[in-house]
Formats: sequence, structure tokens, C-alpha cells
Amino acid sequence: MKVEATEVEGRKVYSVRAFNQGVAGYIEKLPTVWVEGEVTELRRQDRWASVFLTLKDPEDGACLAVQMPRGQFDGLRLDLQDGERVHVYGRPELYAQRGDFHLRALTIERYGLGAHLAALERLKQKLAAEGLFAAERKRALPRIPALIGLITGNDAAAKRDVLTAITTRFPPAHVLVAETYVQGPRAAPAIATAIGDLCARGIDVLILARGGGSFEDLLPFSDERVVRAVAECPVPVVSAVGHEQDTPLCDLAADVRASTPSVAGRLVVPDLTELRAWLDRAHAGLGRGARRIVERHGERLATARERLRRAPLLALERRRARLDTTRGRLLALSPRATLERGYAIVRSGDALVREPPVPGTALAVEVAGGEFGARAE
Amino acid sequence: MSEQTFEQAQVELEQIVERLERGDVGLEELTKLWERGEELYRRCAEQLAGAQGTIEELARRLDAQQT
Repeated sequence: MKVEATEVEGRKVYSVRAFNQGVAGYIEKLPTVWVEGEVTELRRQDRWASVFLTLKDPEDGACLAVQMPRGQFDGLRLDLQDGERVHVYGRPELYAQRGDFHLRALTIERYGLGAHLAALERLKQKLAAEGLFAAERKRALPRIPALIGLITGNDAAAKRDVLTAITTRFPPAHVLVAETYVQGPRAAPAIATAIGDLCARGIDVLILARGGGSFEDLLPFSDERVVRAVAECPVPVVSAVGHEQDTPLCDLAADVRASTPSVAGRLVVPDLTELRAWLDRAHAGLGRGARRIVERHGERLATARERLRRAPLLALERRRARLDTTRGRLLALSPRATLERGYAIVRSGDALVREPPVPGTALAVEVAGGEFGARAE
Repeated sequence: MSEQTFEQAQVELEQIVERLERGDVGLEELTKLWERGEELYRRCAEQLAGAQGTIEELARRLDAQQT
């Protein structure tokens, strides 16, 4: 921009506006640089277009105003606190209307391990308070997944380890692989998106695998977007990120944590040999159980038949016994008792003699001691 | 029924075997259960025998994201 001065009483004079614009135009030509400092006076409000902070030099307290569009600042998800050390990448800018000088930030990165750890710890506390890591949220893995989702970087090792473990143990497995960035600023949104994409394709278990790396390399796996995507994933998630001693937050949100990608692979599928053995056992059990039931029913049938066969005989015997009893009672009622008292029974043929018979009739006389013949006179 | 996954078939087969092992099954039901069990076994065995896995790459968006 050409800045015009006016001649006033022999002087070149600039208006404030022209001056500011001139300086602003000059400053804009300066290169984009990284500036390191401590965050102070961080001001952010939802209704503001920009976020403001003051970057302070920890050595001598020199200050620099920093501005960043709010959308971009929020997108970084830094959860910055006053006092944290950061690197700000930006270019100097003069706001011509007010003559305010500031650094227009293009990106901000937390600097220093301690600061990262503190931020991570804060995020961990916050998500834990929401219950994202709760034990009761953990789901069981499907015994035989129909479609396994795998998110890895294109570094071959982790991906190969998972796939080898899966196909060795369970050759019929179907795996859907999504390669994403697994480090750097693009990784977190890429991973979160990949989780959603894989779920939309109908996976029933998800593996998140990444080999070992530096603390900074693994940071995307502690990014709030990734941790939330893992926690909200509609299917169980196995997390195998970094080495045993690393615990990125996504490990805490996952349903199962595997110490290595290979372990993750083995966890999601059954062993085909074992499965076949199980199937054979089940099949044998099916036949054995059925046979046993048939046998039991057969035994019952045989018992019933036996009882049925014996039933008439039994009834007959019972009836005979009853007859015997009756006969005993009958005997007790016989005239024998009367004969004992000296009476006699006189028969002619089969008939009892109640009237004096015709003389000469042959008679049979029964007395207590026995029977003898007689003839009427 | 044809939509039954291997896992569902596996669970059903296990339940049938358990019932048969308990033994409190009538003969008529036994026939049905046993036939069903055999069918499930056949289905599982076929799936294990025939299936060859697939490894598919989800369409990469890496390049798109880089721009």
C-alpha cells in the first residue's frame, strides 16, 4: 500500500491512519516465526471471534500480545492454562485502527514434557470424572467376530503383527484395515474419523494398534477426540498402543488393553484348532446326550412292560389269596362245632334227612369223630 | 435363521448339548433337538472348513487429507 504524506508548512505529515497502515504493511512483510513463552492472561469467550493471550518471556518478563481465531484455537484442543510454556507459530501484525501490535498465531504447541504431562493428567481427571474409564463400561469381546476393524499407521510392523496374529490363529477372519496418521497434529482427527468409518462398515470389534514411539509420538492417542471416540465406539475396542509402560488415555477408555499389537490380534479371534476341538466335543456330546435319553426312555419302557406282563398273574394270586381267606371263614362256620356237642348229620345220598325216612333207606351219619353208614327201621 | 452368525449357532448348539446332557427331554422333543443340533454342527463345521479370510483396506483418505 502506498502511504501518502501531506505537506504542511514544509513538513511531510502522515495521518494516524496512514501511519498505522504504513507500519502495518511493513510489518506484514516480516516472516512467520516460532516464539516461545509462557501463557498469561488467556482470554476466550464463545461470542468472541478471537482468543487473546499474552506471551511472557520467563527470563525478563517481556510481553507479547497474541491473537488467534477462536475456531482454530478450539481446534487445537490444547486446554491451555496460564503459566504453561508454549511455542507459538505466527506473524507479527498491527491492527491499524487501534495501533495495537500483536502476534497473529497460526498454531500453538505446548512445549516441554512437564507441561504435556500436566495437561494429560488434567484431561485424564476430567474424563475419569465423566466415567469414561469406568470398569462397568467395559464390554466383552465377541467370541467370533464377523468383521474386525483395524486402525494402524502405515508403518508396517504394527499392522503386520496384528494381521499375522489374527490369521495364524483364525484363518477365516475378515479384517477391514484403516490406515491413518498415527502421529503428528493430523493423527487425532484422522483416528477419530477412522473409528467412525469402520463402525459404519459394520465391524463388530475394533483394534487400535501402534508400535512404540516417543511420548510426543503417542500423544494423539491421548487426544480427547480419540479417547472419546474410543469410549463412544458402539463395538468393543482393543487398544494396543506403544509399549507396556506407555498408558495413553485411549488405553483407559478401551474395553481391553493389549500389551502389543500381536496380543491384540490374538485376543480378538478364537483359536481355530481349539474351536474345531470344541465343535467335535459338542457334536459328540449331542450324540451321547441323545443316546442316553433314548436309553433312559427304553429302560422305563422295559420296566413298564415287565410290570404289565406280571400284572394278570399278580391279580390272580391276589384273588386266590382272598378265596383262601373266605374259605377259612367258611370253615369256621361249618356244623363241625355242633357235631362236637354230640349232634349228628344224617344224609340220604346227597340230601339231608329231616323227616323219618322209609325203613330200609341207607343213611350216612356224620358225627364229630367221623362218618358211618346206617339203615332206617 | 439363515442370518444366524457362527457365534449364535455356537451358543445354540451349546445350549442344546447342555439340555441333552441334563436329560429331561421328551422323545419327541429329543428328535427335534437332536436334528437341530446336527444341523447347527454341520453349519458350524462348514463355516470353519470352507471359510477363507479376507483383509480389505478401507479406502485411504490420507492423500485427500494432505491437501
